[in-house]
Amino acid sequence: MSRFRGWIQAGATLLTNLHLPNFLKGGLYQGTGKTVCVPGLNCYSCPAASGACPIGAFQAVVGSSKFSFSYYITGFLILLGVLLGRFICGFLCPFGWFQELLHKIPTKKLSTKRLKPLTYLKYAVLLVMVFLLPAFLVNDVGMGDPFFCKYLCPQGVLEGAIPLSLANSGIRAALGKLFTWKFSILLSVIALSVLFYRPFCKWLCPLGAFYALFNRVSLFQMKVDKNKCVSCGKCARACKMDVDVTKTPNHTECIRCGMCIRACPTKAVCFRYGFGDGKDKAKAAETLQTNNNNREE
Amino acid sequence: MSCGKKAAAQIVLLITGITMLCFGVWRGEAATVLSKAIKLCLECVGIG
Amino acid sequence: MKMNRTNTAGRILALLLTALMVLSLAACGTKGGDKMDGMSSEPKNAEEAVAMHKELMAQENAILSEDTALWEKVFMAADKGMTMQEDGKNYGDFLLKTIEDAKEEFSDEEFAWLKEAATEISNIENKLTALEEKYPEIVQQSMDGDMSIPAGSDTSNPPDDGSMQKFPAFEGKDLDGNAVKSDELFSSNAVTVVNFWFTTCNPCVGELSELDALNKELAKKGGALIGVNTFTLDGDEAAISEAKDVLAKKGVTYQNVYFASDGEAGKFTTNIFAYPTTYVVDRNGNIVGDPIVGAITEKKQAETLQKLIDQALAADMG
Repeated sequence: MSRFRGWIQAGATLLTNLHLPNFLKGGLYQGTGKTVCVPGLNCYSCPAASGACPIGAFQAVVGSSKFSFSYYITGFLILLGVLLGRFICGFLCPFGWFQELLHKIPTKKLSTKRLKPLTYLKYAVLLVMVFLLPAFLVNDVGMGDPFFCKYLCPQGVLEGAIPLSLANSGIRAALGKLFTWKFSILLSVIALSVLFYRPFCKWLCPLGAFYALFNRVSLFQMKVDKNKCVSCGKCARACKMDVDVTKTPNHTECIRCGMCIRACPTKAVCFRYGFGDGKDKAKAAETLQTNNNNREE
Repeated sequence: MSCGKKAAAQIVLLITGITMLCFGVWRGEAATVLSKAIKLCLECVGIG
Repeated sequence: MKMNRTNTAGRILALLLTALMVLSLAACGTKGGDKMDGMSSEPKNAEEAVAMHKELMAQENAILSEDTALWEKVFMAADKGMTMQEDGKNYGDFLLKTIEDAKEEFSDEEFAWLKEAATEISNIENKLTALEEKYPEIVQQSMDGDMSIPAGSDTSNPPDDGSMQKFPAFEGKDLDGNAVKSDELFSSNAVTVVNFWFTTCNPCVGELSELDALNKELAKKGGALIGVNTFTLDGDEAAISEAKDVLAKKGVTYQNVYFASDGEAGKFTTNIFAYPTTYVVDRNGNIVGDPIVGAITEKKQAETLQKLIDQALAADMG
């Protein structure tokens, strides 16, 4: 499956942003489809967006005067976290794909191994900018700002502000200091993505942070067959998320991209989908097979 | 984590997720999401 | 959307994306330079002369509206009486002289830009005079009412293409249940500012108190401000009480109205997707200028709104 990852990413991005003609019209899709969230980080103010962004929706609910926590979105994310975990980052997230494409620009590439402590930053972003500030830093009528969307999210600028301001003169006139700030963030993320592999996913993305917490209990797992493994270390070297799959197959940083599977000379690493740890190898392969069929529809 | 324990945790989490989701929809969060998502949230995308 | 594996295709897309970014940057920061070519040839007849005259005036206006703040400074200097505009003299030369006289008020960069712009205006004026001498009748035809010489502060008239758009008519109610008719509302006010908002929109709620202050100011000048809360369309009881709650908390005293969502104004409202959006409507029910998108708590937006209001008020006087 990991061989078709690029195609799956492209397909997921297209499905997440189905209403392409809106780019020219400079409007938004306003149908009921937007009640439901998409799995990846995809701004719902993107003209083409077919669903809501889970992080944006969470802040919208939490920031409204009626609620200070969103069971709807949290439940949805737990469900996705258990069903797929960070497989979503590797296969379904449009912004992850965007960063990967940028990384294909041929330049000198830098390793992020030494920057490991930065990976904890995303949990702080999730807790502070998504959960706490929008819920508790409220104005006189009980409304909070969507802090992550407003001050940090580069996807909103890429998919929302830029195409809308190009198509709509009123919005162009509204561009202010906030746009300058967020545009600089987007440019930094773009520049960093060329040099590093998925810097935003590793260090800042609150959605990735949430799914990361569920990687260990996710039904979608990495499986290493100790009998086949020759400890050559090729998988760890191939991993662009700095994970050693032989030691921690379900590490929080693993986005299930499958590069280790392709790097393994003895086919000791594989995807596994199912409950529990799946000691039985034959059974595991079987469940994976059926899952593959389901997924690729 | 033993196999049985992990499976149990997975099932419990799945049920929790579904329950929370339904409860959220029941208390009207889905409508809030829709009302925000179909309008351009100027502050959210970094305009102004 | 059809690449991967083949590295090159991916690269090309990546490059395309980068190009898009650069383009969007360029679109944000265009500062028009010289648009002075292709107009040097002689007109063959009066009609062409009129077209040329119009074109030249448009160019001049474009230069004058390029950096309004800076020109304002120039006009201030002129107002102080440093230089006098003599009848029949070239306006560009007058500007040049004013700029030279007030040199110390500008930075080197500003001075250089202004000088260049004024020289350009001077050239345009020379061409205009030549045209007017040759075809005296074109002056009337070309400038029906539009002045070629900006008379002070307001130099950036938004382009009125003549076809004014009517604000859609509605018959609705305010949140207290009093009937409101759009034609009566507009005709009884020199200017009506219509603010579209909804209850859970943070920036919309954030600007309510400023809008209330604006309403009080407008009342003195024979204008009014009304709000349209899109949640309350069709008279949704729960939405009305929520909206009233927010309005009360923000101390808003101006009228908020709702109407049927399937009417003319209702459909108009559905097409607005960015909030808040504010329209300026004149006594005849025409929309003045472009709608203002985004909260007027932003200084730039407040200024744009004030300009449109002044424009509507001035038109109402004349």
